[in-house]
Amino acid sequence: MRTKAKLSQAVEEAFLYLSQLPDIVEVEVFASSNAQNVFRIDYKSHILCNGGEEAKSKEDYGIGVQAIFKTADGIKIGFGSESNNLSLEGAKIALEKAREGAVPDNEFVSLPKTIELKRTLYDYHDPEMLELSEKDFIAAGWKILDGAIKEFLNSETLKKLALLKNKPVSSLGLIVGGDMTVVAESIAVASTSMPEIQTDESTFVTVQITAMVEKFDAKGSGYGSYAKLSKIDDKAGKEAAQNAIDACGVIINGEIQKPLSIASGTYPVIFGPQPVSELMSNLIIPSLGADAFWGLQSPFTGQFGKQVVSSEINIFDDAANPEYVGAKGITCEGLPTKRTELIKAGVLNDILSNWYETQRLLHKDPEAEKKLGKDPKELYRQGKLFPTSGFRFNRGGGRGYDATAGISGTNTVFEGTNPKNIKELVADVPFGIYIGRIWYCYPMNGLKAGDFTATVIADSFVIKDGKIMAPLKANAVRINDNIMRVLNSVKAVSNGKKASIIWAADEVPVACDILVSNVTLEEIGAEEAPPTGV
Amino acid sequence: MLLIKRCFLTIKHSNKGKKMAYERVTIELGEHLKQDLRNVLNDFKKAKNCVSHADARINISEGQYAASQNGILKGSGRDYSLELHTRVIAGRKVNASGYYGISLGPTDIPDFAKIVKMALEKSYGRAMANAEHKFERMVSWKELGNTLWDTRLARVPIHEKTIPAKFLIWPLDVSLDTIGKTVKKISKELKKNDAKLQINDIYLATWVEREIFASAEGALIDQTFCYTQGITYVLAVSKNVQQEHYDCFGHQRGWEIVENGVNEEFTRFPNFRQFSFNLAHEASTLSACPPCPWTDKPVVVITDPHYNTLKVHEIVGHPTELDRILKMETAYAGRSWLFKNFEENMLGKRVGSALLNAYSDPTLPGYGHYQYDHEGTPAKRVWHIKNGILLGFMNSRQTSAIFGDTACDPNGHWKANGGQVVPLIRMSNTVFAEGDKNPNDIISEVEHGYYLVGHRIPSIAESRENFRISARKVYEIKNGKPVRLYRDGGMMADTHDYFMNVDAVGNDFRLYPIFNCGKGQPMQAKRLGNGGPTMRSRAKLTGGAK
Repeated sequence: MRTKAKLSQAVEEAFLYLSQLPDIVEVEVFASSNAQNVFRIDYKSHILCNGGEEAKSKEDYGIGVQAIFKTADGIKIGFGSESNNLSLEGAKIALEKAREGAVPDNEFVSLPKTIELKRTLYDYHDPEMLELSEKDFIAAGWKILDGAIKEFLNSETLKKLALLKNKPVSSLGLIVGGDMTVVAESIAVASTSMPEIQTDESTFVTVQITAMVEKFDAKGSGYGSYAKLSKIDDKAGKEAAQNAIDACGVIINGEIQKPLSIASGTYPVIFGPQPVSELMSNLIIPSLGADAFWGLQSPFTGQFGKQVVSSEINIFDDAANPEYVGAKGITCEGLPTKRTELIKAGVLNDILSNWYETQRLLHKDPEAEKKLGKDPKELYRQGKLFPTSGFRFNRGGGRGYDATAGISGTNTVFEGTNPKNIKELVADVPFGIYIGRIWYCYPMNGLKAGDFTATVIADSFVIKDGKIMAPLKANAVRINDNIMRVLNSVKAVSNGKKASIIWAADEVPVACDILVSNVTLEEIGAEEAPPTGV
Repeated sequence: MLLIKRCFLTIKHSNKGKKMAYERVTIELGEHLKQDLRNVLNDFKKAKNCVSHADARINISEGQYAASQNGILKGSGRDYSLELHTRVIAGRKVNASGYYGISLGPTDIPDFAKIVKMALEKSYGRAMANAEHKFERMVSWKELGNTLWDTRLARVPIHEKTIPAKFLIWPLDVSLDTIGKTVKKISKELKKNDAKLQINDIYLATWVEREIFASAEGALIDQTFCYTQGITYVLAVSKNVQQEHYDCFGHQRGWEIVENGVNEEFTRFPNFRQFSFNLAHEASTLSACPPCPWTDKPVVVITDPHYNTLKVHEIVGHPTELDRILKMETAYAGRSWLFKNFEENMLGKRVGSALLNAYSDPTLPGYGHYQYDHEGTPAKRVWHIKNGILLGFMNSRQTSAIFGDTACDPNGHWKANGGQVVPLIRMSNTVFAEGDKNPNDIISEVEHGYYLVGHRIPSIAESRENFRISARKVYEIKNGKPVRLYRDGGMMADTHDYFMNVDAVGNDFRLYPIFNCGKGQPMQAKRLGNGGPTMRSRAKLTGGAK
């Protein structure tokens, strides 16, 4: 990792030089250094394996220059970057790349300028993490796996299940997979309108573990997110293993009652934090970006200030909250982060944006009012459409020097206006499903249409007469529904907020359980498992 | 998993200047770096007693791109990259792996040998620490420690080979201005051509990649590839109906395919302008069509080669990756319904009708073509399904050794999407094999059914036992003829049922590019080839929200 001081020095030197060049109208210099260490876990009790499958890392650093050029053909904007060279020479090479690729984008207004907000978040990372030792990194990964294996070894349930089959516990097909990912990222940025060098440093650890007792198709998940290296524990491993054990079914009179499946139909469904996070990451948050409004892709197009979903729902991006691991002090455009209230009591209140898209909606798009549903200038005066979500999350955890800023969430939170205990949600369901983990959740006919599908893969249960009755068989249910219908059919939201790690997502969603009526579920894999839940 | 996030306007790339020896990274640099790679590896192996395997890869790329939106040029550039990755398998009492990846720049080139040494040392340190922990658990986990194994790799022939790229117009010989003008012109014409077309994004990139692999066993593989890829995204609106479609145009060739298209035995594209216009016309037409109905029961479905490209990717390719078979992807990409365990699995058993054949073949001239994978294994065809019987899986040297079956000798499918990440088992060109039926007959024989044309978005169950994939177009077929066109349709089926019901396979085999297959942690988006002929089977039809 290159230090913050080194990045600052590089940006300062480059900015001073580039600002003086006669053909440059405006310039932004961004330098970053990123390291990602991943300990990948692969354990099986019935197939040869390594336990700690991969102890690996990747790292990069460099400098990026975005410049507005005065040319004989008019104003042009260009971006270029150079890897592994923070010297002035590196910046000059990046500049030449920007110059060569510069284009006359007449929807471009300017590079970022200061906004009516002050930075609130400083020094929120663990400096130890920047100096991660190889020994500690590998030991932490094995500690997480130990947590799962010990849970399996000590489980009376597994011993009984194995005894029923007259075989050792290892024959039940115990699986533990997942990873511990340690991310350290450091940036420095300066631009013509914000010449003072700003820096930001974030470090975090995420752990996501999946455990299975494969003989019973029982799967469980465990998650952890840590802002401090010293806080990493074996909780995620234990949790995943325990959830897998719980999903095996119940032993009645010496016989195992296996997980249930259900017949196709519509059911009241409680979506747990992970499925809500999947819906957030793949359907809701992409629909709440300024680019989706500009491009007519959002199902919320033209709905600013209107009731768009159930009044039980609040959605916000809590970027400056250090309690969550996705927190950032400044954006990759040098602007302060903030909490952005996206949906308040079901009303579309604000959207995520970067500088380019905010300016385009404010100044360059004659259709902007129609697309948003309100005059963008008026919204801006109300403190909305602020460009506080311009990030360069292009390296799976790092802030890339080699790309311009897109729009991303950070800590995207889904919570209730009138939160209840999860037990109250369950008690309201006469016959339905608790869905704890879904998979491959995508919009099938475009984002705006909102039609989505996903399959239920773990941590799920059948509810009868307001009580959890039995585990739901993994991989036996497909959800076929529409996100706007789902969000408008939310009857209650729990008070149990939980962060989930969504694969390949930039943001870290934090969500609660939600009770939704009439969710369309399709029974799958019927040949193997006739429905037993009805 | 297919990634559907749009990636058109991420602005990267650009380069200029040839003043100093290493002011920039060039493809030609590979000549010099590969010798360093080999020498350092040899020295490293000699110096370390506990090392059972060591290898190193570099990936050099040079390329250019341009992107336009609604006729406005949004970005363009030229750039290069250099990435290094090392793997060491080592241990005192038991072996384990350690990996290290890093992005490099021109300033690192003078110290390249030192950096490779440092990377190998890092990998070695990780392997040794990992091995110590593993050995300790072999004892402390009691019976659950029994499956922890002494890491090793299956043997492969050790080759030294240099393989050049195939092209007519070298991607770096095209001016950036030409690329910019091409995308702008297409985008502008699309905007002007049809009032229904509200948004279009046109992206073109052309680049060269040189992949060099060296191992302490003596392998030295130097492969160069040309890629030219276009992405067209269109959004058409008619009254309240919106149609959003995108498609990938691409091949392992030079700039010539943008101007002339491709007319090869298996891969055919019109030129990129026509390709974009075809997609736009389709979206515009569909925006005036009714939504596709749902069916409660399976119906006759005919799928065209483009739709089957995504279908074979999702329900044959992914479930026949040996890392999934061995449950290594349980937490990520999922497992496979084809293999419960060594006692209960579908190997050698019927998984589909006798007409169903599928294989992966890196030697086919598709987007997933190569001759050696990223651990130097010579690539070869692996049959997954022959006459409906499950035969084999894509593998790596380690998974082949674990599987321990001679039918599963290394077949060269361990690939990374770049030079600083650990390879994974990935599809090469994974396809449904050609049949012998005229595709027109496949349709005309149908009394009532649906013809699905063009793939859109997939969602597949965790073990790939069930799938739902949307199509760009769905035609209702009555008495052998298309009678109505629907939008927003697709199909859904249990994979096994779908395979067993295949009753016609066409003689119109095609290969298409897939540019965005995501797998791994951190996620690697990979380019590969998929394809097949027209096929007929049974599935439930899907539409929009019920």
